[in-house]
Amino acid sequence: MSQADVTRVGRCFAPLLSIDLDIAAFASNWSYCDRLSSYFARMISHDRTDSLLYANLFSSAFNELLETVFRVHGVAGNLACRVSRQADRDRIELTVPCGESEIAFYQDAIAGLAGEDIEDRYRAALFKEGPMEASVGLLELAVDYGADLSIEVMPKAIRLVAELSLEGGRN
Amino acid sequence: MSDMGSPTFNVRYDENNQEFSIIGSMRPRQVDEMDGCTRLLTASIALVKGTFYVNVKRLLRLNNLAFHTLATHLVKACEERPELRISIVTSSVVGWSTRKFRALQEANPRIAVEEYDSEFYPGQSFLEEGCFIPILRTQTKMTWRHERDILPRHGMRKGLAIADICCGIGDFAVLVHKEFDPSRLVALDHSQSSLDYARKVAGDFGIQGIEYVYGDAADMLLEDNQFDLVTCRHSLQIFDRPELILRELYRICKPGGRVYVTNEKNSHCLGEPRAESIQWTYTEVARLFAHFGMDVELGPKSRRYLLDAGFDDVRMESFMVTNMDGDPQDFADIIQSWENVYAGQMSVQRGDDETFNARLRQGFQDHIFAATHPKGYAGWPIWVASGRKPQ
Repeated sequence: MSQADVTRVGRCFAPLLSIDLDIAAFASNWSYCDRLSSYFARMISHDRTDSLLYANLFSSAFNELLETVFRVHGVAGNLACRVSRQADRDRIELTVPCGESEIAFYQDAIAGLAGEDIEDRYRAALFKEGPMEASVGLLELAVDYGADLSIEVMPKAIRLVAELSLEGGRN
Repeated sequence: MSDMGSPTFNVRYDENNQEFSIIGSMRPRQVDEMDGCTRLLTASIALVKGTFYVNVKRLLRLNNLAFHTLATHLVKACEERPELRISIVTSSVVGWSTRKFRALQEANPRIAVEEYDSEFYPGQSFLEEGCFIPILRTQTKMTWRHERDILPRHGMRKGLAIADICCGIGDFAVLVHKEFDPSRLVALDHSQSSLDYARKVAGDFGIQGIEYVYGDAADMLLEDNQFDLVTCRHSLQIFDRPELILRELYRICKPGGRVYVTNEKNSHCLGEPRAESIQWTYTEVARLFAHFGMDVELGPKSRRYLLDAGFDDVRMESFMVTNMDGDPQDFADIIQSWENVYAGQMSVQRGDDETFNARLRQGFQDHIFAATHPKGYAGWPIWVASGRKPQ
């Protein structure tokens, strides 16, 4: 972790697990979202207060991020998934290859999480007729999981960061 | 009963209970992957009168697309049929589901979300009072003297993946952890207060590596075929349907692994002197538990239960905890706590009259007398059984 990372978040997260894979390989099979999120969840949850509950919540949150990336990403490059921890808080970082339109999507989606009516917009998205918005998973993380989401624009990529505190369950 | 399966989830409709159940992981990429599910859902709703139950207690994972698809069908059904009510049954064990499905409640007031929670086994509340904890610890201390030697005859050895189901306050898991150094140890119980206590004890003693998890033993979220040894002590006897627990113990056990259970036959508690009074009381204790749906005579029936559940190589033995195992006062304290709970709470709640209650208490006092008498003998018999899950 760079000094800039530490300064930006104001605390140091210890790395737990990371996987890099070609974005085209990831996007070739939808089940990779489920498999990756379930694998990460199982690996990082064993020392949480209730490992089973934690893994279930983490998998659900992480899967929504991966499904968003599956639907919105650039054509070439590496997808990097990293999970790190600071006490009760876990940090997911996804570095996603993106073209201009994909970068604009993520910027708009993250900017849209700032409004006070976010919960209403999330519910409206869930019950909207027709195809679902690609950003609904990010809305869910912010509303149902209390995640802090941010992005950093990089050359031909974005880094999507979600910080979550899932101890104690969400129900 | 109608079923519809996919590689990751199953849906079924039970017409008798008007209950539509979804089990597994539902994370489709496209809506048409749920066609089978939505067809069965629509057909099921068409058959319903009154309330339609949607059971998602074992729906572990659900993405937004799947939620959107289910939500659209359920809300539409309510809009088209003004008399229809929908009750969605979630589980707190899953973590995300109650909050997620509550959105449906807000979308239509005739949709209700009910969380199936810690009231899994209300009859057992007698045994989960805080004051009972010291006695549970003493009981485990006294039974461990025997079980430490018995367990290896039932498959226990160092380095196994072990699950202790219905772990209570977790003291048995701690002893197993110290003695047998398992590669993984999951301890599950349905009582949050017991788990909190277990975690505190483990923390106080610097014990790491026991995963204390909350769950319903009859409907666990643990995956299939994970554990070399699954233990379930003194618990089948206090569930009204022990075969449901055994089915789950079997499911999470690896093929070739073993399930180990211990249970009592309370009417066989004994003592000298004053044997007759003691025997009368414990026979009545068995009847008292039966009144509340618990079979504390289950011990010798364990072999049948294990065979009926599909296990082979069933091994069985019994041992007697007595006043000669260490300090007799420990045993006397256990008996006193039994009197407090069984005669003080359960008998009163059943509505027993004072004469009966006094006689019930006298048997416990006579058992204490036998336990603490310099020439006395007092015993508490326990049956151990284990079965192998076929390869």
